[in-house]
Amino acid sequence: MSAVEIVGLAVIVLLVVGWRLSWLATRLDRAHTRVERRWAALDAALVRRAQAALEAARSGSIDPASMLLVCDAAAAALEPDLDPAAREQAESDLSRVLALVSLPAVEPYAERAELARRLHNDAVVSAVRLRRGRTVTLFRLTGHATEPRAFEMAAKGQLTWPRGFVG
Amino acid sequence: MRVGIVCPYSFDRPGGVQNHVLGLARWLARAGHAASVLAPGEPGPGLTDARTSGSVKFTSAGQAVPVPYNGSIARVNFGPLSAAHVRRWLQVGQFDLVHLHEPITPSIALLALWAADVPVVATFHTATPRSRSMQVAGGALRAAIEKIDAGIAVSESARRVVVQHLGRDAVVIPNGFDFDEFADGAVPGEWDETTGSTGVSQSLAHSSRGGGLRGRAGGRPRITFLGRLDEPRKGLDVLLAALPAIQAGLSPSEVEVVVAGQGSAPTMPGIRVLGEISDAEKVALLQSTDVFVAPHRERESFGIVLLEAMAAGAAVVASALPAFMDLLRPSTEPAPSGATDPSGLTESSGAREPLGRLVPVGDADALAAALVEAVRLPRPELRRRARAYARGFDWDVVAPAIVSVYRAALAAAPPATRTVTGPRRSLRRGAAG
Repeated sequence: MSAVEIVGLAVIVLLVVGWRLSWLATRLDRAHTRVERRWAALDAALVRRAQAALEAARSGSIDPASMLLVCDAAAAALEPDLDPAAREQAESDLSRVLALVSLPAVEPYAERAELARRLHNDAVVSAVRLRRGRTVTLFRLTGHATEPRAFEMAAKGQLTWPRGFVG
Repeated sequence: MRVGIVCPYSFDRPGGVQNHVLGLARWLARAGHAASVLAPGEPGPGLTDARTSGSVKFTSAGQAVPVPYNGSIARVNFGPLSAAHVRRWLQVGQFDLVHLHEPITPSIALLALWAADVPVVATFHTATPRSRSMQVAGGALRAAIEKIDAGIAVSESARRVVVQHLGRDAVVIPNGFDFDEFADGAVPGEWDETTGSTGVSQSLAHSSRGGGLRGRAGGRPRITFLGRLDEPRKGLDVLLAALPAIQAGLSPSEVEVVVAGQGSAPTMPGIRVLGEISDAEKVALLQSTDVFVAPHRERESFGIVLLEAMAAGAAVVASALPAFMDLLRPSTEPAPSGATDPSGLTESSGAREPLGRLVPVGDADALAAALVEAVRLPRPELRRRARAYARGFDWDVVAPAIVSVYRAALAAAPPATRTVTGPRRSLRRGAAG
């Protein structure tokens, strides 16, 4: 091939690669944004669930022992500035307590929180899959964005994380 | 008196509150009162004699459920079914008064407080505040707290918590225990071979003979740790960390380290792990112990095991936790004659030596140094003083004080004038009286 043809081929290859990288970057950006929006929605749904639980417990419809349990778990979940692991534990504990103490008024909020969680984790899975693709990794397209993390909450009624027992 | 005692925790597992309730109930029954105990679960094999001890009537409130509360897992009963159990027990019991333990917990003690229509005496065992749930629960909980006629706290620290967080006063009456159970036959320096009746007790009694120092059991001096092996707050890890320094100061032929309790511990050379032991074996073990070590890290509300060790004649080395310091540096001690009458107490001067050695919490080196010193310097006079002090916590001293509180509560609130409160009334805001 002549020099012009080689250069021409190189330019085309570069254009194709450049276009693909820019397309990947856009997809990455959208994936991260979706995760952020879904996290905000999940956070809000969890807060509403905890607040609903608190209100229902204090309304006087349940015995004082159950009330103390719900108040403790809800207050722990509403604690500000929890790191992800602590938040997961607090919300799991609240799920456990809500499974044991029947509070019909809280049901819809719990369902909405569970749905928000599944949507959030779904977005995380997509984003992580994209991030770990060969091209993305090779060209470090993720930049400084940290890898999103799924929000794990115990399925309804399960106790998690061994902790000290009292009594 | 017909007394109804409520224990919030199951007898399935050992615990300070459970032991207290059983000890108190048995004493009351022997003293001629009609004592009934309500607790979750069934008593475990180590406690089955509770059913037959005297005329203590034991009622189960149903299986306890593990549930997260206040940062740990609590095994308690709650909910409408448990509330019904409690109400039925109160109706059948026809008590003159009820004695609740740890009522500000999500448990049957709180349910009993809610449903009781007789005078209520409440004992507060823990010194750790639980302000989060209490702040949030607000008015409903305050109404329940107001129903308490008389409060008892097992220590000054527990009393402070009651005053600060519940706004109520409490009389300090310490935890009791059976002094004779631990002291009989145990004189420092002597060992009665007939007290080891089971095969295991025999092996507890005798440690292999070695050169140098002689322990109470005739063999090597024995250092003992008692407590859950896998619970960090019991401090076993501190003792294990101190082992190398102990073995540097004392050769293995000069000391034996014994570790007993539920749970699994890493095997290390130089320690003997006994695992879970029965109450009788515990007594035999303490009576053959030269130095009892309590390296607990946190949240000990009383430390009765120290008193048990002192009664059995062992020297004590413990972390400087507030509860342990209260016990080892008492402000009053019995008069030198060993009188058990509370009026025979004398003020100790602040300079009086502690009844055991205290070491900084979590400090393995200090622990090792204290243990080596305790083994090399037995100090029988100090151990006699400690034993005399422990005698003041026997049920024969503590229970009458509790009964005085019962009588005061009865005198102040005769049943006939109490209004009936309970599930239908107290927690519904705006409901008709």
